Amino acid sequence: MNAPSTGQTRGRVQVRVEGLARAFNGIPAVREASFTVGAGEIHGLCGHNGAGKSTVVKMLSGQLPPDRGRIVLDGEAVELGSRQAAQRKGVALVDQELSVVPALTVLENMLLGDIDVPFVNHRRRATARARQILDGMGLERISPDQPLSALSIGERQLVEIAKALSQNARLVILDEPTATLSDVESAHVFAAIRRIAATGRAVIFVSHRLSEVLELCDSVTVLRDGRTVGTTPTKDLSVDELIVRMLGEAPGRLAAAERPDADLGHALRIAELRVPGRLADFSLTAPAGRIHALAGQLGSGASDVLRALAGLHPTATGTVVLNDRAVPFRDPVRAARSGVGFVSNDRKSEGLFLGRSVAWNLVATRLPSLGRGGVVRPRREQDAVRSLAELAGLPQPRLGEPVAALSGGNQQKAFVGRCLGRPDVFALLLDEPTRGVDVGGRAAIHRLLREAADAGLVVMIASTELEELLELGDVIITMRDGRVVGRYEGDANGSRLMRDMTHGVEGA
Amino acid sequence: MTTADRTREAAANASGPQPSASPARGRPTPFAIALAVLVPLFVVLAVTTDRFLSLDNARAILASAAFVGITAVGATLVMVAGSAVSLATSQTATVVAMAFLATQQLGLATALLIALACGIALCAVQGAVIGFWGANPIVLTIAAGFAIGGAATWFSGGTPVYPDARGFETLNSTWLGLPIAVYVLLLVTVVAQWTLRRTTAGRQMYLVGENRAAARAAGLPVGRVTVVAWAFFGACTALTGVFLASFNTSATVTLGGTLTLDAIAAVLVGGTAIAGGRGSALQTLGGAVVISVLSDVLLLRGFSTGTQTLVKGVLVLAVVVAVHLRSAGSRR
Repeated sequence: MNAPSTGQTRGRVQVRVEGLARAFNGIPAVREASFTVGAGEIHGLCGHNGAGKSTVVKMLSGQLPPDRGRIVLDGEAVELGSRQAAQRKGVALVDQELSVVPALTVLENMLLGDIDVPFVNHRRRATARARQILDGMGLERISPDQPLSALSIGERQLVEIAKALSQNARLVILDEPTATLSDVESAHVFAAIRRIAATGRAVIFVSHRLSEVLELCDSVTVLRDGRTVGTTPTKDLSVDELIVRMLGEAPGRLAAAERPDADLGHALRIAELRVPGRLADFSLTAPAGRIHALAGQLGSGASDVLRALAGLHPTATGTVVLNDRAVPFRDPVRAARSGVGFVSNDRKSEGLFLGRSVAWNLVATRLPSLGRGGVVRPRREQDAVRSLAELAGLPQPRLGEPVAALSGGNQQKAFVGRCLGRPDVFALLLDEPTRGVDVGGRAAIHRLLREAADAGLVVMIASTELEELLELGDVIITMRDGRVVGRYEGDANGSRLMRDMTHGVEGA
Repeated sequence: MTTADRTREAAANASGPQPSASPARGRPTPFAIALAVLVPLFVVLAVTTDRFLSLDNARAILASAAFVGITAVGATLVMVAGSAVSLATSQTATVVAMAFLATQQLGLATALLIALACGIALCAVQGAVIGFWGANPIVLTIAAGFAIGGAATWFSGGTPVYPDARGFETLNSTWLGLPIAVYVLLLVTVVAQWTLRRTTAGRQMYLVGENRAAARAAGLPVGRVTVVAWAFFGACTALTGVFLASFNTSATVTLGGTLTLDAIAAVLVGGTAIAGGRGSALQTLGGAVVISVLSDVLLLRGFSTGTQTLVKGVLVLAVVVAVHLRSAGSRR
């Protein structure tokens, strides 16, 4: 099972992380992270959402200065003041998001952001070096002169890794490199990672996909609540053991309250919903009055179900019926008109109108109902704003301020509140309803959603957070790789969900 | 924005060399300071300029603001709705002017309606391509400008279009000492301001301009709103075209002149954000009048058109930078 990366250099410690800690506004994100990675070792970094993985990655790659603790590279304690500084010290990061530029060629992308590129570019030498790196990764089929736009997403990810390698890194960090890739593409990425390790570099691999971690890595460090739980060789671990380490006391069902009978007369019926490249097949009948929670990590398709229903995937196919009327779900305007309210997972760029006041944001989607003949009536608008603010629990004196001035929790309340109390919305779809929201705000938003369901709306959420899924989901549907893995109604527990979300179909 | 104001002062007094292109030091000074410097500057200039403070001159200022102002007020809606600017404005006005003069024998009202329909249709089509298919407004309107200009040349055969009847002369008359165009400018401003503030479509223009992706995800009718903004702009451009035609009593392919950039300048000086989401018709009216006052002062002091254009450019630049700094400051 272990990678064939146990080279001769194995055992020499390349990277040592000692007691790293970092807080944001006084709230600790990482309390104490310590582990060592040997040369030629592939080291997994696992943890549930909020365990502090990405903060550790940011500190290792120079994007965040640690509050305490140190990073030792090759026996030398290093200060990584910036990503450039980290690069100079030999730390390369392959980020979750692709940072390659489609319009440029493979070679140009590999040179991009490389601090060692001389001012005068020796093209032939650079091409030869790129060729060598690509060959070293088994990418003979990719030419340095090819434009990146001609490559598949998986191949682009490989170029991203090649780019990291071209920087003569001693430590390569891969943060969720396979989240959006197919299995075949992932296999190529793994092969490339193994080759990197075989050259004696240290590799840190961060992933939600636990089976991948066990397959690829030599050892795994688990983080929980910002602390290192421990480092274990993968040959001693199973997926279930790993999940137990990640969750500690596995959260059980938090809200086991009895729900009234589902109102099948008002239901959202989804049949054979497909989104090319993202969602293989999804069918569900979600009656009003119940909260349906889709559990899935990035790339699982959970969020794509909601986006497709809201009309944001124009290539989606299938049938969607709401209240016995077909929903034209390939166009956001028509989807909204047939009663679908959507709250995106990105409230900054795809949600709120940040420069506008809270009041404007609250009524942004219901302007036609605030007047007659396309003319807004100020009195009716004020009434609507006031009652919505009260419903969403927003402070009245701040309604005139730009919504950007509010805290994350209040922003999200305004975002969710925008869809509430509208007689023309029958289905409420929320993607990560409490992302970046504090504990108090979370509880308030959960209460709003519960009230909305009780008031007879179809409520569907997509989330990656176990506590949220268990607390809100009357029905929980786990997803991975664009497919449904399992369905739970009252019998879910944290480790089952986690297993489904991270291990996938073949393990279930 | 004190640096810019100083340059402007230097240019306006023209006592010394032209703007020393002093780079803004990236020090965000509040918008209010810029205003506080600008307003007294105008007052000083106005008082020290011969013949500036006269009724005739005030009339002249308003009259010269009217033609560009009408189009600029329309362009405000387009910019607020996030479609930046139209670079086909001159050409549209020219075609409308030709259509207006060529149909004079049908009577003034009919010709006016045809002209309006023509302007609305031309712009609404561009708005539809931008709103529904997400075309880049700059690229699209450059292309549209060539196409419309070409059509105008073909239509007129390259020679001036003369009217068959003189019904249009009514539009050149004055009422209570002011040209009709000034009243139309005021009316258009009021209608535009009301549309932006009080109608669903107007409010949605701000939202679409502020964050198009959010508007789309929320199911707002992005395409329709964009088309409405452009159609309004088309009507305004058509009115300007009609007045230009009446004023010149004939229409050549170059009738539109520098209308495109003049209108954009007026909108920008009014403080409307080029990226959308911010601005108002009243501000644009103010912008048009400011430009008109400035041109008037320079003219009265005997400066060439070159200087006038230069000062106008500096003013636009200064306001755009000030608006940018203000919005950058408020986002912090």
